[in-house]
Amino acid sequence: MNGPLVLGIETSCDETAVGIVRGRTLLANVIASSVEEHARFGGVVPEIASRAHLEAMQPTIKKALADAKVSLSDIDAIAVTAGPGLVGALLVGVGSAAGLAIGLDKPIYAVNHLAAHVSVDYLTHAQEIEPTIALLVSGGHSSLLQINDITNSVVKLGQTIDDAAGEAFDKIARVMKLGFPGGPAIDAIAKEGNATAIDFPRGLTTSTDWQTRPYDFSFSGLKTAVARYLENVPHYARADVAASFQESIVDVLMLKALAACKESGIDSLVIAGGVAANSRLRAVAAARCEKAGISLRIPAPGLCTDNGAMVASLGALMAAAGRQPSPVAFDADSSLPVTVVSLS
Amino acid sequence: MTITLAIDTSTSRTSVAIIEDGSILWNGHRDGATEHGPALPSLVQEGTKGFAVNEVVVGMGPGPFTGLRVGIAFAQSFALARGISVRGVCSLDAIAAQINEKDFIITVDARRKEVYWARYKDGFRVGEPAVSFPADVSGAPIHSNLYPDMKALVALAGNINKPMYLRRPDAVATADRK
Repeated sequence: MNGPLVLGIETSCDETAVGIVRGRTLLANVIASSVEEHARFGGVVPEIASRAHLEAMQPTIKKALADAKVSLSDIDAIAVTAGPGLVGALLVGVGSAAGLAIGLDKPIYAVNHLAAHVSVDYLTHAQEIEPTIALLVSGGHSSLLQINDITNSVVKLGQTIDDAAGEAFDKIARVMKLGFPGGPAIDAIAKEGNATAIDFPRGLTTSTDWQTRPYDFSFSGLKTAVARYLENVPHYARADVAASFQESIVDVLMLKALAACKESGIDSLVIAGGVAANSRLRAVAAARCEKAGISLRIPAPGLCTDNGAMVASLGALMAAAGRQPSPVAFDADSSLPVTVVSLS
Repeated sequence: MTITLAIDTSTSRTSVAIIEDGSILWNGHRDGATEHGPALPSLVQEGTKGFAVNEVVVGMGPGPFTGLRVGIAFAQSFALARGISVRGVCSLDAIAAQINEKDFIITVDARRKEVYWARYKDGFRVGEPAVSFPADVSGAPIHSNLYPDMKALVALAGNINKPMYLRRPDAVATADRK
C-alpha cells in the first residue's frame, strides 16, 4: 500500500461525509446523512442540511480516522468539495477542511464535486484508464463528460437543460406518494412493473436534437407527461408507471452516453453519481455496453451516492500527479463549472 | 501559560486574535459579510505563525448562520488537528464587554430586518439573547454595529458547545405546501 494518505470531506448537499484513502486504496468511508430530516419536506432544506453538517462533522472525522486506523498526524493532505452544491452546506466542509489543513500544516486540495464522483472509479484500478467518457447522474446534476486527465482536463460534452435525472425521480415519487428520496423507491416498485407498458417521451431525441445538442438531456417533459398520465388514468398501475418512467430515463441516458463513446472513438465509459446506484440503469448499461464493445465501470452503489472517499480519491490523484494544492484562502463556489477540477 | 487562538465570525467581520493570559500577541480582521470562508484561514495562518497555540476559543453567535458556522467548523477542526481544547462563548457578551455602562442593550444584524440582542445590567447579561424587530427592542440605551472584543471573548469563554441560532430553519412540510 503506497501513495499519499488523504482525508476528504464532502458536504455539498445532505450527506456529511469523510473518506480516507492511501493512494488508490480506500481506508475509510463514513457518511452521516440528514436525509430523514428532509423527508417530510419532500426535498433537501439547505438550512437543515447545514446545521446537520456542523453537528455531524467532528464525530464523522473521528469515525473515519478510527476506521482507517490512522491518526491525523499521519495525514499527508486534506481534500474538500469546493462546489458545486449548496453554499451554506459547502462552507461547513470548507471551514472544517481549512481548520484541519492549517492545524496540521498540510496542503489542501479544493476539488470539484462532479470530478470527484468520477474519480472514485480510480480506486478500483492501478493505472489511469483515460481518456474515458463519464456519465454523471445525480439529484443535482446530469452531465456527459470526456475525461482526458481527471486531475486537470475534463471536457463537458453536454448536460441537462432543466431537471437533473435524480430530481425527476424525486418529483415523480412525490406525485406518486412514494416518499423521498425518490430514486430507491421507484427502483424498488419498478421491479414489479412492465417497463414497456406506457410509452413515455424520451427527451431531446428528435433528429434535430441529435444534430444540434446530442449530449444534452431534458427530463421536465417526461415529468409533465407522467403527471398528466396519473391525472388521466385514476386507477393506474403504480408499478407499470414507475417502470415505464424509469425506462425512459435509463434509455435516454444510455443512448446519449453510447453516442458520445461512438462519436469520440473512446471505448470506455464510467457511470457515476447517485442515480448510478439505480439497478435498472446498471443492468441496461451492462447489456448495451457489452453489445457495443465498450468497457463499462460503475462504482459500487455505496460509492455512487455522495461520499468522502471520492473527494479523498481526487485529492490523492492530484497529489500523486504533482498538481499544485489550492491556496488556503479559497471560497466555496456553489456553481463551480465541471471543467474546473480544483481551485488554484 | 495558555496561548489562545480566538475566532469570531458572528458579525460581518472575521476576527482572529492570539491571546496569552489576557494580553494580545496578534490580532487581525477582515470585513465582509460573505468573506468568512476565505478570510478566516488566511488570518489564522498568518496569526498563528511562531506561536504554540494550546487552546481555541470561538464565538458561538448569535449571528447570520452561514458565516457563524464557518468559524465554528474551523475552530473545532483546528483544535482536533492540534489535539487541543475548544471552548465556545456568546458573541454578544464579548461585544458588551466594551461598554462601560450600568444598563444597556447590544444589538447585531440578524438579516430579514431583525436584530439579535441582549440586555446587560451591572456587567451581567439579563436572560438569554433573543431575535426581534428593532422596534420591539427597548428599555435601555442601545449599542449597535459593534464587533466582539477578542480579549473579552477569551476571558468569558465557557462551555457553550452549540451554535446560538435562535431561529428555526425555514421549511414547509410537503403536506402543508400548495
